[in-house]
Amino acid sequence: MLIEIKDVYKIYGEGLESEVRALDGVSLSIDRGEFVAVVGQSGSGKSTMMNVLGCLDIPTHGEYYLDGTNVRELSDRELSRIRNRQIGFIFQQYNLIQSLTVLENVELPLIYQGVGADERRELAMEALERVGLLGRIKHKPVEMSGGQQQRVAIARAIATHPPIIMADEPTGALDSHTGHDVLRFLQQLNKEGSTVILITHDNGIAATARRCVRLQDGKIVEDREQEVDWL
Amino acid sequence: MNIRQALKMALRSILGNKGRSVLTMLGIIIGIASVMTIVSVVNGQNQQSLKQFEAMGTNRVSVSLSLYDGRDCFQDLYNYCNSLGKDLVVGVTPSGYANATIVYGTKNSNAMQKNQENMFSENGTVRTDVELPPDLYYGSDQYAVCNNYQLEKGRDLSFLDIRQHNQVCVLGARAARNFFGYADPLGKDLSVNGYPFKVVGVYAEKDPDSAFSQDNVIIFPYTASRLLSPGQSISDFVVKAASREATEEAVTRLNGFLSGLTGNGERGWGNAYSDNQWQNTLNEQAAMMSMVLGGIAAISLLVGGIGIMNIMLVTVTERTREIGIRRAIGAERSSIVTQFLIEAAMLCGIGGIIGLSIGTVATRITGKLLVHMDIWPSIPITLGAFLLSVVLGILFGIYPAAKASKLQPVEALRAE
Ligand SMILES: Nc1ncnc2c1ncn2[C@@H]1O[C@H](COP(=O)(O)OP(=O)(O)OP(=O)(O)O)[C@@H](O)[C@H]1O
Ligand SMILES: [Mg+2]
Repeated sequence: MLIEIKDVYKIYGEGLESEVRALDGVSLSIDRGEFVAVVGQSGSGKSTMMNVLGCLDIPTHGEYYLDGTNVRELSDRELSRIRNRQIGFIFQQYNLIQSLTVLENVELPLIYQGVGADERRELAMEALERVGLLGRIKHKPVEMSGGQQQRVAIARAIATHPPIIMADEPTGALDSHTGHDVLRFLQQLNKEGSTVILITHDNGIAATARRCVRLQDGKIVEDREQEVDWL
Repeated sequence: MNIRQALKMALRSILGNKGRSVLTMLGIIIGIASVMTIVSVVNGQNQQSLKQFEAMGTNRVSVSLSLYDGRDCFQDLYNYCNSLGKDLVVGVTPSGYANATIVYGTKNSNAMQKNQENMFSENGTVRTDVELPPDLYYGSDQYAVCNNYQLEKGRDLSFLDIRQHNQVCVLGARAARNFFGYADPLGKDLSVNGYPFKVVGVYAEKDPDSAFSQDNVIIFPYTASRLLSPGQSISDFVVKAASREATEEAVTRLNGFLSGLTGNGERGWGNAYSDNQWQNTLNEQAAMMSMVLGGIAAISLLVGGIGIMNIMLVTVTERTREIGIRRAIGAERSSIVTQFLIEAAMLCGIGGIIGLSIGTVATRITGKLLVHMDIWPSIPITLGAFLLSVVLGILFGIYPAAKASKLQPVEALRAE
């Protein structure tokens, strides 16, 4: 198994009367090369789950095995390395660095990988080409539309060719046409061998995935294979 | 990530947010430059006035004495002082001021009057090479010791010069230069209000940096006043005491002597007081000035520091998010802290150097315009201001990094 969480809890304000169980005893396994959609209503714990799976957050209770290693036992350096090389994140709010240009943003994960300048630029340009943004590499994020910024974020996520892609509502801020492009792109990446985890509240969007996991109040209420809606 | 990449990253970040970078540097620049300028200029002027005072000498007692019958009372004072012994009083002289026209060859003291217009050089400092009219004093044979002059050439005024009303004079170094240039003044006759006065000696230079220098003087035997200032009686005298302790003793004795001489004010008036008193006052003022300056310096630095702190803290949220993003895509804690440290050090270093340069220029310009002096910034103040603002800048610069890198990436991303 590539990803395996066992009885994971994420509890805010544990023990208080106002405690929130964002994840309430979740167990899930995801294999290499899968395309999994995580669906659920707002507040059901989808983002929390992605943060845990992406090593951006640590669960309150429960264990997480990534490629057989217990994440809880890893140092900051090892976790940083995993985020850097194993996972490409696409966030709902893009999360680009405003003071850097498009190209610099896409190069950033490669810099932290220690890739040399020439190769770095080549990889970044290749990723930008794939999302169709070669013309605007010297611009700052604020000078671009929402859809373009999301494409920059995608380019940044794929520039390192990570085996896992995690996307949190990647189409949330986009019109249906642009959103469509993004989803097709994720399917394409999955075909090329990446494991894709797509988070959405929209059942129609979830239909682009082979497997659909439904969250409700921090618990998994459904986990099924489905007919893929190829785009 | 190696240091070279961290350096590049910091540089990109500085250039990527020019507004923030400029504001941060501005706090440092203003802090350093203002402290340097204020403190250095006032300090320089303070020292200048102390130096001039020092040239005049210490342990002086001023004596005012006048008898109603108009009799020359200096001889009495002279005899009394010399009877006190050299371990109490080392000299006594009139300090009367003469008004006369001095002519030698083409040089004329009246003509020198108009040179006052050219007293300042083009860049604002005082010129010491302008020929200004000399100050003329009536003195005794002890004038030099009372006023801190050393003889350089020839001889000093003698007791006989006084006694015999000799038409001789001694020149201060600058007066000698103004009237004689490089020629030897000894033995030459100056025309003083038309009367010939032979130069017998020249004093060594002791106050080279002032425009109205204590070296631009001519000393005549006080008995020449009958010739040069008929009708003027000399009533101001200077007694030079042997030491600081002797000064107090001399003042007491002199006051006793004076009340005897004037019959407790019936036959005239007389009074002796120590110059040390107002020298002390001057010293106190200088000390006070330094304290006020210290205060101003501290406040300027504080204001600069608060400016730096402000701009750094205002951007904490923005930077915390940035740190969250960097962590999410794989930056280790140590890379984050290194990058922010380098960034802050670069900003503060560049700002500090700009501040230093502006401070130096401002010190020199203000010095020339305001106090007409050639002032260089004081090194301890400059160093202190530089270090303090740079350290402050760096501390507040790495504050967001130190804070945010402790968070889980997701918490840093959530910052608002
Ligand atoms: N830092 C936090 N402190 C307290 N409660 C939190 C925190 N973060 C999330 N929660 C709570 O955890 C629950 C799950 O949040 P989460 O962001 O995972 O929902 P989501 O499914 O992603 O919702 P959406 O579709 O709106 O993004 C919510 O009830 C939320 O209020
Ligand atoms: Mg969410």
